[in-house]
Amino acid sequence: MWPIFGGRKRETELDEELQAHIDIEATRLEAEGLSKEEAASRVRQTFGSRALVAEQTRDSWGLRWLNGVRQDLEYAFRSGRRAPVFGAAVVLSLALGIGASTLVFSVADTVYLRPLPYPVPGELMFVAMRIFRLEMVLSPDYVAWRKDHSAFVELAAMQFHGGDPAILGDKDPVEVHVTRVSYNFIAALGVPPAMGRNFEQNEELPNGHKAALLTDALWRTHFHSRADIVGRNIALDGVTYQVIGVLPHSFVMPLEVPADILTPLPITPAISHHDRGLATWTVIGRLRPGVTQAQAFANLKLLFAASRADAPEIFRDDASVMIEPLQQRMAGNVRTLLLVLAGAVGCLLMIACANVANLLLARWSARSRELAVRAAIGARRSRIVRQLVTETALYCAAGSAAGMALTALGLRTVVYFAAGSLPRLNEVRTDGRVFVIAIGVSLLTMLLFGLLPAWRAGRVDVQTVLQHAGRPGMSGGYRASRRALVAAEVALSVVLLWGAVLLLQTLWRMQHDHLGFAPEHVMSVSIPLRNTNRANANRKALTEEMLASIRRIPGTMAVSWTECTPLTGGPMGTTFTRSDRPLPKPWDRGDTVAGCAVGPEYFQASGMRLVRGRAFADADYDHPQTLAIVNEALARRYFPGEDPIGHQVDGHQNGGWKTIIGVMADSKNQGLNQPPAPQMFLNDIALSPGSNLAFVVRYVGAEPLFTGAVRASLQATDPGLLANFESLDQAIERMSAGSRFNGMLLGSFAVMAFLMAVVGVYGVLAFAVAQRAPEIGIRMALGAGPMSVQGLVLKEGVALVAIGTALGVAMSLVAGRYLKTLLYDISATDIRTYMAVVFAIAAAAMVAAWIPARRAASLDPTVTLRDS
Amino acid sequence: MTRMELSHGTLDLMILQTLKWGPQHGHGIGQAIRASSQDAFQVEHGTLYPALHRLERRGWLAAQWKVSEANRRARYYRLTPTGKKQLLEEQAKWRALVHAVAQTMKPVRG
Repeated sequence: MWPIFGGRKRETELDEELQAHIDIEATRLEAEGLSKEEAASRVRQTFGSRALVAEQTRDSWGLRWLNGVRQDLEYAFRSGRRAPVFGAAVVLSLALGIGASTLVFSVADTVYLRPLPYPVPGELMFVAMRIFRLEMVLSPDYVAWRKDHSAFVELAAMQFHGGDPAILGDKDPVEVHVTRVSYNFIAALGVPPAMGRNFEQNEELPNGHKAALLTDALWRTHFHSRADIVGRNIALDGVTYQVIGVLPHSFVMPLEVPADILTPLPITPAISHHDRGLATWTVIGRLRPGVTQAQAFANLKLLFAASRADAPEIFRDDASVMIEPLQQRMAGNVRTLLLVLAGAVGCLLMIACANVANLLLARWSARSRELAVRAAIGARRSRIVRQLVTETALYCAAGSAAGMALTALGLRTVVYFAAGSLPRLNEVRTDGRVFVIAIGVSLLTMLLFGLLPAWRAGRVDVQTVLQHAGRPGMSGGYRASRRALVAAEVALSVVLLWGAVLLLQTLWRMQHDHLGFAPEHVMSVSIPLRNTNRANANRKALTEEMLASIRRIPGTMAVSWTECTPLTGGPMGTTFTRSDRPLPKPWDRGDTVAGCAVGPEYFQASGMRLVRGRAFADADYDHPQTLAIVNEALARRYFPGEDPIGHQVDGHQNGGWKTIIGVMADSKNQGLNQPPAPQMFLNDIALSPGSNLAFVVRYVGAEPLFTGAVRASLQATDPGLLANFESLDQAIERMSAGSRFNGMLLGSFAVMAFLMAVVGVYGVLAFAVAQRAPEIGIRMALGAGPMSVQGLVLKEGVALVAIGTALGVAMSLVAGRYLKTLLYDISATDIRTYMAVVFAIAAAAMVAAWIPARRAASLDPTVTLRDS
Repeated sequence: MTRMELSHGTLDLMILQTLKWGPQHGHGIGQAIRASSQDAFQVEHGTLYPALHRLERRGWLAAQWKVSEANRRARYYRLTPTGKKQLLEEQAKWRALVHAVAQTMKPVRG
C-alpha cells in the first residue's frame, strides 16, 4: 500500500517474528508441565502488549518519522472507513466552504482588485458634474477645464455612454461600434497605437480631417490583419474616414464602452453655455504625478465654481462636481452585488467550518474512550495528538481538493451565466494565488478545529475516562461549544435563506409581474439605417416597403414600425407641458417624458392593452404628431383625478399641441427592475430622424422559421440590408440574466447552508441523547413517561433554534442595507419573507430534533441502565 | 535477587555476546541473557526487539528465517564479521570500565 515506506513485507515479518516468540514461549511453558490454556494465558501476561512491542520495534527502524506518518495515515484511513458518513460530511462541508469562497474570491479579484490594463492605473480618475441625476461634463466646461493642467496631465472626453452602432463598408456591410473620443484620449490612457499615429487636435474641429483608429480585433477579423491598412479609407454610415492607426491588442475601452473604431469627438473650441445643443460627455483624467485625488478635487471645485458663475441658470443649487478613481468606477454597481455575495460566502464558509468543528468535536468525544485505551496501553501523548492531527489533515486535504474541483467547475458556470452582468468577466480565471488562499483556508480550519480537539484529547485523563467505562463520552465542555456552534449555524442560515428568498421573489416579480403586454410570439426587428443613400427623406417610403415585405410572410398577424418596444421608452422627449397650464421656462427642471412614434398596428403587434379611448387609425398619419396616446403612469402623474382624453399636451417643442385620444396600460418601459415611466405614443413615422428603422411583429408558428422567412424577404427587397432580430421573450431573458444569476447563486448557497444547519441540529441532539442515555434510563425507571422524555430533548432543540433564529433575524436587519439595491418591488424587511424563513427553519429543525427525541423516548431503561 | 534494567549499550553487548555461540532467535536470546545472568536481568520484549532490529540495521547482525527446535519458523540472528569485531572492541571497553569502577569502589583503608 505504501511501497516507499518499506512495504508491507517488513510489517508481516515483524508480526510473524513476535508470533514465533509467543509460540516458542508457550511450547517451553507446556514442556514445564503447564496445560495449553495455562501456558497461553501466562504468555499473554508476560509478553505484555504485542502492539506496543511492535510499535517500539518499528520506531527503531530508520525513517522513523515517515513510518509514523505511514502508520498514522493507515490508521486514519481505517478509522475513516469505520465512519464513512462522518468523513463524507466533513469533506463535503470543507469542499463547499473552500470552493465557494475561492470562487467568489476569483471573480471579485478580477472584477474589483486587478488593476486596469493601463500604465499607472491609479492616476486615472473619472471626473463628472452631477446635474439632473446625470454624471457627465457639459461640452463648454470640458473645453474650459482641459486647458487647466494644474491637477491633470490630460483630461480626455468620450461620448456620453459611448459606442454608437454604425455600418462599416458599402458592399457586404457589417455593424460596428464607433465611439467618438477627444484627441488626447489614447494619450491619457497611456496606450499608444500599435500601428500608425494618434489623433491630432485639429481633427477634433467639426470640419476637421475624418480620422479613425481601429481596434486590434476589428483589424484582425474584418481587415484580415493587412499591413497596409494605415492610410486607407473606410466608409462609416456612408461617410469616408481615413484609418490613421491600429490600437494594440492589449487595449481595453474603459467603462465597458463597446468600441471597434474610435473617431474624433467634434469639439468647437469657442463653444459656450449659451449655444444651442450643448453636448454631454464622459470625462477621464490622468492625474499629474504626485497630485492626490483630494488635491485634484479641490482644483475641480474651483473650475466648477467658474462654470457655475458663467451659467447659473444651468447649475442650480444641487449641481455638484465629483471625482472617483476609474478602477472604482468600473467596478461600479457590482460593488453591492459583490458585497452581498462575499457576505453570503462568508456565511457559508462559517457554517461549513462550524459544521466541521461540530463533527470533529462529536467524533473526538465519541472516541475519547478509544484514545484513553490507547493511552493506557502505552501510546505516548504526543503520538495520540499526532494521530489526530494526521486524521484531520487527511480530511482537510480531501476537502481542499474537492473544493478546488468545485471552484474550477463553478468558475465556468459563473462565466456562462453571468456574462453581461459582471464587468471584465472575460479576464476571469483561477490563478495560483487563489489556490494558495484555498490552502490557507483549509490550513486555518485544520489548525482551529483539528488541533484544538487534539490538544484536549491529549489531555484526556485516562483514569477518568476508563472509570466512566460504558459511556461513550465524557466531554461536558464540548457540549456548550457544540450548542453555540449549532446556534450560530442556524443564525447564519436564516440570513442566507432570507437573502435568497428575497432575491428569488425579486426575480419572480421581474419576470412575471404585470409586464403590461403579452411577450409571447412577438419579434422586434431593428435595421440600422443611417447611411446617406437611405436618407430620412424617403424614410416613409422605405418603411412602407419593409412593412409590405414583412406582411407578405405567412404567419404575420400584425406588424408596426416603432421607435420603442414594450421594454424601452423610445427617444427622450422634452419637458412635459399641458396646454391648460403655464409653459415652463427654458432649462426648467421639469420632467421629461419618453416619446415614441408608432404605426397603427403597434398595440396589436406588441400585445399592449388599451385602457380607454381609441388607437391610431391609418388616416391619423396624414397629420403627423397631432395625436397622442399616453400610458397610465403619465395619466396618474400629470392628470391626477382627471380624464386625460381630449387634453392637449407637449406643445412647445415642435410647435403643435397633441390631443390625447387614448390611455394604454403601463408596460416595463425602463427595464424589468424599474417602475414604468410616463410615456407618450405619437402618430408619426419617427420622432428622432436619425434613429434605426425598427418593427414589432406578432406572428404564429415557430420562431426560427419565421425569422428566416423575414430575413429572406427583407434581403429580397433590399440586398445587403442588415437586420437584427430579438424576440421579446429573449429580451426579457437578457434583462433578467443578472438577477437570475444572483438568485441562483444565493439560492444554492442557502440550500447548502440550510441542509448543513439541519444536520447540525440533528447531530447535536442525537449525540446528546446517546450521551444522556443512562440519565434518561434513570428518569424512565423513576417513572418519567415517553412524552416527558421526548419533551426533554425537544426543549433543548427548541432553545437552540430559537436563539439561532433570533440572532439570524437581527443579523439580516443589518444585512438588509446592502441587499436593498438588488431588490425590486419588495422590501428588505418584508414580514412575510421573515415568517416563511423562520417557519421553514423551525419546521426543519424540529424534524431534526424530533428523530433523536423519539429515540430517547423509546429507550429501554433496563438496557440503558445495564449498559452503564 | 533484584532485577535490573539494562542500558542500551549493555544490552547490545549482551546480545552480541550471546550470539558468539551461534545463531539464535529473539526468544532464545532473551532466555540466554536471563539464564546467564541468573535471572538478574529481565529483558523487556519492548526493549529486546528494537535492539535486535537496531543492531541488524547497523550491520552487526544478520537475520534469516529458519525452523526452530520446536518446529516453528523463527527469525534467527547471527553475528556478522563487523559484529564480531565490534564485540571484541566492546568487551575490551567493558573490561576497562569494570576494572576502573572496581578500583573506585574498593573500600578505603584507613
